[in-house]
Amino acid sequence: MPPKAPKGEYIETDTGNKISRRSLIHGTQHIILGGKTVIQSDAVIRGDLYRSASSSASSAAAAHKPTPSMSAPAGAASASAAPQPPPSVAITIGRYSYIARQAILRPPSRLHRGVYAFYPLKIGDHVFVGERAVVEAASVGNHVHIGRDAVVGSMAILKDFACVLDGAVVAPGMVVPSWCVVGGAPARIVGEVGEGYGVEGAEGGMARERYRVVGR
Amino acid sequence: MSRPFPYAYISCPCANTPVPDPSKKRRSRESPQKASSHHPDQPKPPPRFDDSEDEQTFDPRAPRSNFSLYPPEHLLYCEDCHQIKCPRCITEEIVCWYCPNCLFETPSSMVKSEGNRCARNCFNCPACTAPLAVNTLENVVRGGTSQQGPWVLSCGYCMWSTLDIGIKFDKPTNIRTQLAKLTATDTNPSRSRQMSRTFADLKSPLSTFSSIDEQFPPAPGEARPDDSPDQSNAPLSPDARFHALKGFYKNQIAATSSSSSDPLGVDFGAGFSSPGALNRIMSLYTSSSRLSSLYGGASKKPKTKPPVMREALTASEGFKTPAPDAEAGLIQRMAADGCGWDGLASLEQRVFQSPDARFVEELLPLATLLRTKRAKRCKSCKHILVKPEQKPQSTRFRIRLIALSYIPLPTLRPLMPAGQIPLPGAGVTSSSSSGSHPAGLSMNLDALPPLRPTQLLLTLKNHMFDPVRITLATPSVTPGRVASKVTILCPQFDIGANSDVWDEALQGNPTAAAASAGGTATSSHAPADQRSSRSGAAPATATAAAPGAPLGIFEKVAEAGKVWDKGRNWTTVVLEVVPGTLPSGSSGVTLPPSSRNPDARTTPRRTTGPDSDSDRDSDTSSFGGKAPDWTGRAAEQQQQQQQPPPPLQPDEDVLEIPVFVRMEWDSENQIDRPGVSAAGEMVKRELAYWMVLGVGRIDPSVLG
Repeated sequence: MPPKAPKGEYIETDTGNKISRRSLIHGTQHIILGGKTVIQSDAVIRGDLYRSASSSASSAAAAHKPTPSMSAPAGAASASAAPQPPPSVAITIGRYSYIARQAILRPPSRLHRGVYAFYPLKIGDHVFVGERAVVEAASVGNHVHIGRDAVVGSMAILKDFACVLDGAVVAPGMVVPSWCVVGGAPARIVGEVGEGYGVEGAEGGMARERYRVVGR
Repeated sequence: MSRPFPYAYISCPCANTPVPDPSKKRRSRESPQKASSHHPDQPKPPPRFDDSEDEQTFDPRAPRSNFSLYPPEHLLYCEDCHQIKCPRCITEEIVCWYCPNCLFETPSSMVKSEGNRCARNCFNCPACTAPLAVNTLENVVRGGTSQQGPWVLSCGYCMWSTLDIGIKFDKPTNIRTQLAKLTATDTNPSRSRQMSRTFADLKSPLSTFSSIDEQFPPAPGEARPDDSPDQSNAPLSPDARFHALKGFYKNQIAATSSSSSDPLGVDFGAGFSSPGALNRIMSLYTSSSRLSSLYGGASKKPKTKPPVMREALTASEGFKTPAPDAEAGLIQRMAADGCGWDGLASLEQRVFQSPDARFVEELLPLATLLRTKRAKRCKSCKHILVKPEQKPQSTRFRIRLIALSYIPLPTLRPLMPAGQIPLPGAGVTSSSSSGSHPAGLSMNLDALPPLRPTQLLLTLKNHMFDPVRITLATPSVTPGRVASKVTILCPQFDIGANSDVWDEALQGNPTAAAASAGGTATSSHAPADQRSSRSGAAPATATAAAPGAPLGIFEKVAEAGKVWDKGRNWTTVVLEVVPGTLPSGSSGVTLPPSSRNPDARTTPRRTTGPDSDSDRDSDTSSFGGKAPDWTGRAAEQQQQQQQPPPPLQPDEDVLEIPVFVRMEWDSENQIDRPGVSAAGEMVKRELAYWMVLGVGRIDPSVLG
């Protein structure tokens, strides 16, 4: 075994995550990586955009008050600190997922009952997020492929085995069913992947191999 | 979908039998070996046998190849026919209908009545087709959680909302029913519908014709000319008019056909297909002509004169008379300042709208079209190949016979030439710059140097539970104008059985992978390799596992007749390719950088998208610009002296290698369930097919 290379680009965690030293990860305490996740350089992961206690509290407070005012959070934050555990999760990423360079993961947000709030972003296993893609989905299933330069709008839902083509713009709130291929701007369902999609080693099932070659 | 290099496509054998004939089933049943039994065992390419069409070399560029080449995961396998099945050789059956937006299943009985669209709250934007969201207009929260106030459908993509067409909803549920009512009635003055009747009333089966007549005063909006152009529309909404017309003609048919003979003559189909109707139609031709003597039996009888069908006349019957100045009104409206180009609906938008919709403010939200889950059957033997679970959200299958479970999965990787080993330590940057490409290629496959031997690693991974013997064959020169030489160094080899998937999964820890051979050749199957690779391979590759050693660097030299590497259920062999020169042959011709930049990694050959168009344009334009050079270089290119060769066709520079794969294995006789140990004796099975390996693009600027 050669001497430890100090200049290795990737930090490998105990659970096997390979995270580039040049990635931009904010709010790490609000991010859960399932293990064996690869995060390449210049990827931006906004864990700091979690659903804060103040925003959820103000929405809870707003439920009881006729008008949600911005002065509410100060008093309501302490009230709702007890029901909600402090480290709320902003982004969850499953195993063998791959965040390519310059991709941006941002939790979805929406204006709900007068309160602008962030919601957690859940990414499943074996997910590939292409370079320069922007993902604001509410949930991304397993074996989902998000192509290069794709944009997944806020609160979109990508079901298992969905495939977003390069450069597609998935409209906010869109649901992409399983096995469907979407493309274009705004994205429409343009086809379906084959039944063998996601088989280990074939298209959609390359996640383990992708993981292994990283950082060599 | 286009694939990045390198890729492997598999040709379905059905391309040689264009018409699916029932004899195919019989033939494949009696002996699946027969199709490939006369193939030579040696790696010589089959084109020696030119007498039969089966023996011709598969040309990836032939026009018919487009219809037979599929990515491996799209192919199925019929265990009864023992044959690969592509989407052309299957039939589909709908398992369920579901809305792709809300993922709720629509019962098959309701699909037709709902117009194949989601009956819930799912709508698409009429302007941009993005899904619409139900939003409230008022953010005021009154009395707890309930939000009062009107609701609208709004598009998160183009910011269109139903407010643009003046529609608000009273409640956030059952939008489609509300919308049907709103468009059918005149609750909204801006929509200027003159109808006072809801769509549901007209749809009622009890509403007979006369009752509609009574309820409708004759066309109030039709008679009086209106100033506003859309006031001159027919009083009925298009949906209501359609139903009125349908009801009218249904009644007409029922009245004119001899209702005694066909009691079912209340619908179109029964009215026209009944024997009585046929008799009536025949009598039209026979009664007044001399042919009646031929059918004399019928003419003897005194005929009752068939009642004459009449056409719809009034607006209540669905007849629409456009106002005399309707066209002029439309034109005026188009020319008005408020309209302009943006106010006009585009052709794409109008396709899905009522034919009267000309302006943007007449576009209605479109209920989402349903999608289907489909089961797939073999076309020749009718066995079910794929049967998904009925639940729309489920991704599981009850039956899934995919070809990948039977044929070995091909993977292609370039093997770095020994002369191009970069310095140790450069590996970090090279692997990081490889970006999203999983193989971490250090070689630019978009610019393969012509006439320079390039070695490729072809890995075949067996998913069957039986060991397989593989024979590969390839033409020594690829078909087409760009003649590349191809040699498979080890054309005949064995692949082990896929004995236990859990071994690989349990040992898939990264440290084992790192400690085993460093390099891409073993990277995908590193745990298996560590355990079961031949002892000779491990030290050779271990020496290359230097810190930060770049991918695919081997000090091992490929030898003819020996497999490169071998694992539990996979084998890697080496292909040696000498890419040919492009037919232009001129080193001065350079493609524009757009066709060689990393965006061109995806090969748009089988797509008809804008990519291929732009590619073609750039190619032709670049060669068109270089046209005067032909004469200057004529001396050194004597074969091109007579006439300049046609310019490079789009994607003609893609190096694709047709490879004939023949696999033999022993399997149990009765049921082809691999792994299930039946009592039957072993039967030798064979399967043969062509596959196409897409290596890369040949560099047009480099000569030699």
